[in-house]
Amino acid sequence: MKKIYIAFCVAALLGGCKKSELELINPNQIVSETYWKTETDVHSAFAATYGLLRNVDGGFWGVRGIELGNGRGDDFFIRNDVADLYRLSTFTNNADNGTVNALWNYSYRGIFRANQILENVGRVPLDDAKMKAYIAEAKFLRGLNYFILAINFGEVPLILSVPKDETEYAKPKAVEAEVWKQIIADFTEAGTDLPASYTSEWVGRATKGAAMGYLGKAYLFTKDYAKAESTLRQVTSMGYALMPNYEDNFLVTKENNSESLFEIQLGDVGGTEAWGGENASGALGVTTAQEFAPSEVGGWFEVGPTDKLFNEFQKERTATGELDPRMYATLIWDYPGATFYKKPFSDFKLPFGFKSMFKKYQNYTQANELTGSSGASNYTSSNNERALRYADVLLMLAEAITMQGRPAEAYPFINQVRTRAKLAPLPAGNNQTQMMNEVMHQRMIEFARENHRFYDLKRWGLLQQEIANSDKVGKQFFVAGKHDYFPIPQNEVNTNPLVIQNSNW
Amino acid sequence: MNKDKKSTNFLMVVKLLLVFVLTTIFQVNAATYGQNVTLNVKNASLKEVLDVLRKQTGYHFLYRTEMLNHTRQLNINVNNEPLIKVLEKCFEGQPLTYSINEKTIVLRERPVPLQQNIQQTRITGTVKDATGLAMPGVGIKVKGTTTTSVTDTDGKYVINAGGNSTLVFSYVGYAEQEVAANGRTNINITLVESEAELSEVVVIGYGTVRRKDLTGSVASVKGADIKSQGVSDITRSLQGKMPGVTIESAGGDPGAGTRILIRGVGTLGNATPLYIVDGVQVASINNLNQTDIESVDVLKDASAAAIYGSRAANGVVLVTTKSGKSGAPVVQLTANVGVQSKSSSVDVLNAQEWATVHNQAHANAGLTPLALASNPAALGEGTDWQDAIFRSAPVQQYNLLVSGGSESSKYSVSGGYNDQQGIVDVTGYKRYNLRVKTETTKGRLKFGETILLSREKFVTMPAGWGGQGGNPVGSAIKMIPAFKIYNPDALGGYDGASGSVVNIANPVAQLYLNDINRENTSILANAFGELKIIEGLKYRLNLGYTNVFNSNYDYYKRYQIGGLFSHPTNDISLGKDQNVLLLLENTLSYDKVFGKHSIQALAGYTYQSNNYNYTSTARTDLPDGIDQIDAGAGIVSNSGNRIENNLISALGRLIYSYDDRYLLTASFRRDGSSRFGANNRYGNFPSVALGWNIMNEDFFEPLEKTFSNLKLRASYGVLGNQEIGDYQYSAAVASNINYVVGANQQRWFGSIQTAFASPNIKWETTKTSNFGIDAGFFGNKLNLTADYFVKKTTDVLLNVPIPGSAGSVSNPVVNAGTLRNNGVELGLSYGNTAGKLSYNLFGSISAVRNKVIELGTGSQQIFGGQPNHHGATSTLTEAGGSIGSFYLIEALGIFNSQAEIDAYAKDGKLIQPNAAPGDVKFFDKNSDGQINNLDRVNLGSPFPDFEYGLGINASMHNFDLALFFQGSQGNKIYNGLAQDLQSTNLQMNYAKSTLNAWTPSNQSNIPRVTANDPNLNSQTSSRFLEDGSYFRMKTLQLGYTLKDDFAKKLRISSFRTYVSADNIFTITNYTGFNPDLGRTGSIFDRGVDYGHVAYPLARTISLGIQLTL
Repeated sequence: MKKIYIAFCVAALLGGCKKSELELINPNQIVSETYWKTETDVHSAFAATYGLLRNVDGGFWGVRGIELGNGRGDDFFIRNDVADLYRLSTFTNNADNGTVNALWNYSYRGIFRANQILENVGRVPLDDAKMKAYIAEAKFLRGLNYFILAINFGEVPLILSVPKDETEYAKPKAVEAEVWKQIIADFTEAGTDLPASYTSEWVGRATKGAAMGYLGKAYLFTKDYAKAESTLRQVTSMGYALMPNYEDNFLVTKENNSESLFEIQLGDVGGTEAWGGENASGALGVTTAQEFAPSEVGGWFEVGPTDKLFNEFQKERTATGELDPRMYATLIWDYPGATFYKKPFSDFKLPFGFKSMFKKYQNYTQANELTGSSGASNYTSSNNERALRYADVLLMLAEAITMQGRPAEAYPFINQVRTRAKLAPLPAGNNQTQMMNEVMHQRMIEFARENHRFYDLKRWGLLQQEIANSDKVGKQFFVAGKHDYFPIPQNEVNTNPLVIQNSNW
Repeated sequence: MNKDKKSTNFLMVVKLLLVFVLTTIFQVNAATYGQNVTLNVKNASLKEVLDVLRKQTGYHFLYRTEMLNHTRQLNINVNNEPLIKVLEKCFEGQPLTYSINEKTIVLRERPVPLQQNIQQTRITGTVKDATGLAMPGVGIKVKGTTTTSVTDTDGKYVINAGGNSTLVFSYVGYAEQEVAANGRTNINITLVESEAELSEVVVIGYGTVRRKDLTGSVASVKGADIKSQGVSDITRSLQGKMPGVTIESAGGDPGAGTRILIRGVGTLGNATPLYIVDGVQVASINNLNQTDIESVDVLKDASAAAIYGSRAANGVVLVTTKSGKSGAPVVQLTANVGVQSKSSSVDVLNAQEWATVHNQAHANAGLTPLALASNPAALGEGTDWQDAIFRSAPVQQYNLLVSGGSESSKYSVSGGYNDQQGIVDVTGYKRYNLRVKTETTKGRLKFGETILLSREKFVTMPAGWGGQGGNPVGSAIKMIPAFKIYNPDALGGYDGASGSVVNIANPVAQLYLNDINRENTSILANAFGELKIIEGLKYRLNLGYTNVFNSNYDYYKRYQIGGLFSHPTNDISLGKDQNVLLLLENTLSYDKVFGKHSIQALAGYTYQSNNYNYTSTARTDLPDGIDQIDAGAGIVSNSGNRIENNLISALGRLIYSYDDRYLLTASFRRDGSSRFGANNRYGNFPSVALGWNIMNEDFFEPLEKTFSNLKLRASYGVLGNQEIGDYQYSAAVASNINYVVGANQQRWFGSIQTAFASPNIKWETTKTSNFGIDAGFFGNKLNLTADYFVKKTTDVLLNVPIPGSAGSVSNPVVNAGTLRNNGVELGLSYGNTAGKLSYNLFGSISAVRNKVIELGTGSQQIFGGQPNHHGATSTLTEAGGSIGSFYLIEALGIFNSQAEIDAYAKDGKLIQPNAAPGDVKFFDKNSDGQINNLDRVNLGSPFPDFEYGLGINASMHNFDLALFFQGSQGNKIYNGLAQDLQSTNLQMNYAKSTLNAWTPSNQSNIPRVTANDPNLNSQTSSRFLEDGSYFRMKTLQLGYTLKDDFAKKLRISSFRTYVSADNIFTITNYTGFNPDLGRTGSIFDRGVDYGHVAYPLARTISLGIQLTL
């Protein structure tokens, strides 16, 4: 009726058009100018920023992120199915790789959103302590996204504010050291003001421990071993402890446990569309377990461990002469009594000629990987990805100390990891090289499939050697220097006139 | 002047208006009685003219009504001439004569001339139009004599003529025909409409204009020329018939329709023209019935289209549906039944061939082949997946049209049913149409309405099931033939891919396990009231309303298919949306002739409001066979939103002609749109055009034997485009960007601004200049229309791709540049007779060049056209080039030996270090010693050099024949499907050509097969760029019309039956399904054949009848 009335008014007036008819408000969304009023708005903005980390397309801990984070390692195989993934894992990728492009874009989306929080949180009436904590949390998220960019791309644009207009969309690359400087600054500030823990309602958000752990990691990656040591030593007094059973870290029933410094929260509590995108229908879990599972249980067996990893686990037996329990938690292979997804191992075929499959993070206590915990056929796994574990802190600390020429002081930290794995304490007297070899060996088997191996090899300068010395498919195409980093995605090069392609690409 | 007379005059005029509704411009000087008369009528009956003369002069006419039966219709244009002279004109060639007795004029039958030649015979016959309808009022003249006759209401005539004389048949709007009697006493003929007949009326928006007064560039197709071809939508049958109007299939499922481009691409955004049906804006015209169409008029230049202002930059398509004509009711029934089959397929390997190539590809890469391929011979032919999904599919159409009316009211009512099954199994399209159009006059008032109802039901293919096959057609091409279709033991009953292969779904299972239906109910109602205020001045109120309801149904059954696809629950998803458009138009028009001056003026004020809303809901885990939400045990999810936009406009137009020689059209529109921010809400769109009817100049008289028409036109104007989304000017905070939090792992509601706003966007402005010529030769047997235009678009609205590092999820709309399109269009027709054969040839050709003048910051480059699931982009748009040019690494050939690879080096370093003999050699354009995206070069355009259509209509005796050809020349297509199929690095089926791949002993030009492809033979490159030119025989139709005497015995007016074939053959070098690509996405993807959405063109053969009672 209103419309008709207006229509007749218009008819009658002939020329006196009602201006308000042309000033419409979007009925679907609030606008940025009127947002940022309450603490709830701030919370919502954080959810939207954290969520990117597990995005199926480009989150570093989403399914594609796990594939490209591990795929170039000597311990990891990607089958010839998704062309972009196969190409990067066999070092035949180029700048057009869609998966890499997505990692870039989603990391920068996280930075854009964190910058929005930093610029707007001041508009919300909050007490000082809360304000500081929110700023710290946003800096943690920004730092974490820059960390992901730095280890994958090296030199990237540093964007620390929200672009005001189109003239600010394009920024040139900063040298890698500048990027690390920013990462360290963000983690430092985050570590100062973040709370040590949250009430149970908010468990899963970034804590002081997470920020300090990542700060230590950033120092280690930049070879500032003294600062790495001092930072990580602080973490050891924050109440974290290794879980008694290594396997607990990869079970959906043992999430956010005492070993966990930062964990990507996954749950089948949203929409039912695993690839649904950022909206109500998008699932809030990941499809990683389904994509990695064998076909016999509804999986797509996209990836697998190499035999180099299989063999690495067997280099040292436990104190009682058993295989390392971490091998049982990480891999499934044909051993007596092996069961997987409630079936005997003999029900499965090993499709690639490798001796084992990944068990870590798989929901193998279910019958298959088709149904999420909500009951929908959405392939969704609710098993949180443990981004930063205390075991990592201990081994990083051991490494930082060792690299400063004090291998003897590294023993207590490395032994904690060994003991939990039921290995005998490390014999005394290791020199720096021996100790580093031990750290390298432990890291390889402790963190298989956890997005560490390739980046560890890179900072140790061992990429070429270890890839050559492996059964990795495509190892002959690895070019030292070139494949250490991804190329800047072609889409970025196409749209950003200030960015030049990484050398060798 | 007393009141009664005034009102009688008024009624008289209204009656005439009704009679001549679209074809008459009538002026009468009612103020003075006298001996002088001013009259301008077209196609008027003698009775109507006599009535006017009575009114103007006060003379009375005395006659018996039946005496007027065989009189011919009149075209008279006199200005203040003596009645006696006008009477001479009126009765010239009529079978009547007259005598004047004081104020009474007595009519009588003209006596047979006394000196009648005894050899004269009586010739009888019937005249019909191309559709088989009888044509009353056709003038017949014995050539070289004064003997004339006229056909009666049944199209029959009688004339006395010598046995060797020639009869000349003429009717306004139709090509004149001469037929030699050759002693016959019965001559039946069919008159063919002439394409660019001068007296044709052209719909121009908020009114009509005679073609001879037209100054703009308008392409028109009359409903009668749209041949029923067994295709469901009208746009497909317009393909190639209008110069400058490109019609491409929109691909995919039955009912998917077409996309129309007018004069190239003048925008980088949405290039869809504005569609107006009987005055109301609609989103699509695919739901209209062919038989309901009176005319389709396409406004191409600014002069014609500027009256639609901000929505007209892409051109305007005006569809007018049929109106009733006064007279006895006419009932027309048409029916068409046909069968469609696929007209092409993509050559892929059978199972044994696939295994052989697969094994070789792995051997070449040093990788272990799949066990599946271990014994090629044992696999045999395997499954032909394309055969498994394609079928011959019936199509049927039935329409019933009833029309008629009296002098005061007219009606046209029609109903239609259309059922088209798709050539892909399961798919189909059904449509029901109902249309009512009436018009009534009472006193000073005239009112009328159009109501169009349609209900469409689409059964479509799933777009994809995850994995990499895409839709079932894409899957059928890529699926390995060694897999089987069915497995009765599996949940759902289907088999499929398993093992370490690309996850492509079984296309048959995709079709049968996923029910996807869409129902579209569309209501269009338009009502008008018109009030004559004073002579020539009319106020019109037009109320338009459209309501389009869409409902989507998607039922996904549970299954276990092979090793890669499982879905343990039955899921349903339902969606409904509704779009309501409200239109209110007030117009004031004034038509007047002052001596030699004629004006048509228009002023108006319009309001348009568009409201869209959408809700959808989904639920999982339904019991088998139950498809109601309530039965689902699983997850519920839902969504919804609403969009509103408004447009308020003022408009004006003046059409002025002096002495039918000099023509001027000026128009102006001011639009206010809610799509723009406060600073740029209003836009002004003026236009002006000039025309010169040279043939009406005195000096032209000597040439009139050759030229029957000659007109020059020139126009300039400004048009706008507002086709961007709504609310782009404000920075929206997106909701439901959720995460999980807490010890109990609850959903954490998230929202934030995810993209950048565009607060300062303004109208996209297109300035068009047009120069045209219309010429007719030899009594309009040959007609020509040619146009040259330059279209310059500034402030192009575009989602400019911004760096990913800016962090936005989408690209903001900005006014990003300047484009220029220029082109020529030519339309030609020739109609004549040869003996008993009458024929009409027509053709059109158009060539458009587009150029990007500026883009974004100047150095802005926009890449697009990703051809497959994983490839790089293939097109580039940048200043100085054409839109979406192919920009690719160039493949130079094959390395035949290691020596050739070693020789291809820069500074001692191999340019392609990973290459092996048999791999592709790429061009190192920038000489930097490596092959990468910096080596891309411009390799052609997706736009053709020219497009053309060519048709023949002919009739002889009772047979008629229509042929139509159409094509495109010089465009390139990037074949994404070929890139997938020729890339042997993926575990799926391969192109047939891989059988001839390079080996040391067979050094062919097909690269070696390789499972790891380290040299990137399969990367996006010129290898997959093909010539997209084609020539298509589109239509062949052969009809037979029942002989009149026989029809009369059956008590019907006419009966025609025909056989028709659509898409008979296509000559092309293009190896994909169809060079007339169906990709509807971004303009930067034009010319890229995306394998996932492939769909072959159907060839249709149908049989039809047209019955008129």
